[in-house]
Amino acid sequence: MSQPTGTERSDDETRGPLSNWVDSAIKNPKKVYRAMFFVVVIFFLITTLFPLYWLTMIALSDSSRVSEGVGLLPTGFDPSSFVEIFQQIPLHLYLFNSFVFATLTTIFVLIVASLAGYAFGRLEFRGKRTLLLTVLIISFFPPAAFFIPLFQLFTQQIAFLGLTPPELYSTPGGVVVPLSAIFMPLAIFILTTFYSQIPDGLEDAARIEGTTRLGALFRVIIPLSAPGVATAGILTFIAVYNEFFFSFLMTGTAAQDWAPIVDGIISYQSQFQVRYDLMAAASIVAVVPVAILVVVAQEKIVSGLTSGALKE
Amino acid sequence: MATITLDHIRKEYGSDVAVEDMNLDIRDGEFVTLVGPSGCGKSTTIEMIAGLTKPTSGTVAIGDRNVTDLPPKDRGIAMVFQNIALFPHKDVYDNISFGLQLRNFDKEEMDRRVEDAADTVQLSGMLDRMPSEMSGGQRQRVAIARAIVREPDVFLMDEPLANLDAELRVHMRAQLQRIHNKLDTTIVYVTHDQAQAMTMSDRIAVLNDGNLQQIDPPLVCYNEPDNRFVAGFIGSPAMNFMTGEITPDGFESDAGYADVEFDPAAIGVSVGKDVTLGVRPEHVIPVDNAVGDVTATVETYTDVIEPMGDEIFVYLVTSKGATVDMEDPSASGQILMSAEPDAQVEENQELSVVFDKANLHLFDAETKAALAHGLSEPVRVDTGVDTSTDTEVSGDDD
Repeated sequence: MSQPTGTERSDDETRGPLSNWVDSAIKNPKKVYRAMFFVVVIFFLITTLFPLYWLTMIALSDSSRVSEGVGLLPTGFDPSSFVEIFQQIPLHLYLFNSFVFATLTTIFVLIVASLAGYAFGRLEFRGKRTLLLTVLIISFFPPAAFFIPLFQLFTQQIAFLGLTPPELYSTPGGVVVPLSAIFMPLAIFILTTFYSQIPDGLEDAARIEGTTRLGALFRVIIPLSAPGVATAGILTFIAVYNEFFFSFLMTGTAAQDWAPIVDGIISYQSQFQVRYDLMAAASIVAVVPVAILVVVAQEKIVSGLTSGALKE
Repeated sequence: MATITLDHIRKEYGSDVAVEDMNLDIRDGEFVTLVGPSGCGKSTTIEMIAGLTKPTSGTVAIGDRNVTDLPPKDRGIAMVFQNIALFPHKDVYDNISFGLQLRNFDKEEMDRRVEDAADTVQLSGMLDRMPSEMSGGQRQRVAIARAIVREPDVFLMDEPLANLDAELRVHMRAQLQRIHNKLDTTIVYVTHDQAQAMTMSDRIAVLNDGNLQQIDPPLVCYNEPDNRFVAGFIGSPAMNFMTGEITPDGFESDAGYADVEFDPAAIGVSVGKDVTLGVRPEHVIPVDNAVGDVTATVETYTDVIEPMGDEIFVYLVTSKGATVDMEDPSASGQILMSAEPDAQVEENQELSVVFDKANLHLFDAETKAALAHGLSEPVRVDTGVDTSTDTEVSGDDD
């Protein structure tokens, strides 16, 4: 400051816009928080939405020119790949298969985890902590560790306790059974927390009114824990729908052998060419059912949360 | 309509005994209140009648059926809970009809019953509300309607009024009695509030430490308590107690005041026995107002005065400026007096009082059992127990 008599206005002029912004930010820190908020939000939006955007651009590109590279805009324009994906292979069947795996696993996990969550959350019994810890520890095992023995079991190469199980390979069972086991611990933990928060009086009231303990679970505790059940259900559904390892290896490669979406997408790649545009289009189509499910379920979660607020 | 019989019921939680060897016979259509301090086992007892808790040993019978191993739903009972426990995700109609729906009642019958029950508790027109939209008293009435709609044999009520404010509690107390008069169902009611117990019950069962102390009509519990615990628990404010021993002339207190003359032979107590004298605040009388058969004068000083409107509670101390032991005020010479509302008393004044001899109670200091009620013409209390030996007090009165 060479000019000791300079006014504020002349300071502004000499210091430039950045110093001015810093000055005002120090006086008003909320401004910085807001700026940081936008930076973070934009960062997350780009990292989550850009891949989807770019996938769409690839899908819309002209199939013959995809190899030239796709930038922010499609190279050429040819939306016919969205039709062609269903013409080359029965993609809807692959979608259906994955959907069946996810639905069956979710139903199975929710039923079993509800019973487990009820026991862990609402009953006192010896060895409860140990058992809960065991469940936790099992969930730490890498799923690949189970694969080889399960594969041999499901293809009837070995017997279990002297019994040979039915051939589960290439059936929904071959996928649903191991995946249920793998995603069960998380669901158990979520449901245990939710069920333990329902007041004992409500369960007692239901039992007095004429339900069994199980009836009280399904008529009172589960409806009141709707947000928890929805959370556990959605997490399981998405995880199984997206799962690659078991659903790929435990099934054949054809749609009628219960092959999942991944198999379908991979089959656009032949010995001589890779149809990236079809793969991209199929991926986008595969996202749609899950996206719809989450949007619908999210409304349920919100309404579940408000009904949870009625708790005494 | 049913009797309830508890036969040698015992309940342990780990090494803690919650209820010990309880025998209880509740008659058809009777309103019995289980009363006692916190942790005395009254809630455990009602839960065992309900079937929410299984007794460690003993049997529970409702009517002629042994229901010890039956789940709650098969016992023909209904229950109202302290925390009301309405299902928050169901509206009033669904809450009330929940039990009927589970029993597959047809729609018409269900509607009729729900209407009736709602009428009884004056909730008509609110059937489509959610519990969250109702006040505490309304929710409590829904809970009662839910209980009466199934027309159960037995009503169980576990502190149903505890969460209501004082005014509503008094109002609901009267409502419950009207409902009892109308339905004439057996009711077991649990409370720690002896005012509710006194006002509503046909009989009061006083519990302490998992033991039944006495089961009798309210005024019998009040006027002729079986033991020192019942005497101290029933009645508000509590009875004054003074320790002492039996002399040939009657009772001589350890503190040197409040001696009472009577013939120990009349109640069959041996001279030299340690006893406790009990006197209710309303039977402590200023000497100027004394009429009838009274004890010798006790010189006291007034300490704290609590005007209640219809009466005045005066805390008296026998030596001026004495510190009163909070745990056992009687032992340090505090005497509580209930005086007429127009009595002229001030703090820190000298006041001579006498006890109404006809309303004194004498308890064995060792077994705590009552020896005599009224010492003007003392008569030995027939407790069915030989108080000269060291036996447990039997609470089984019926």
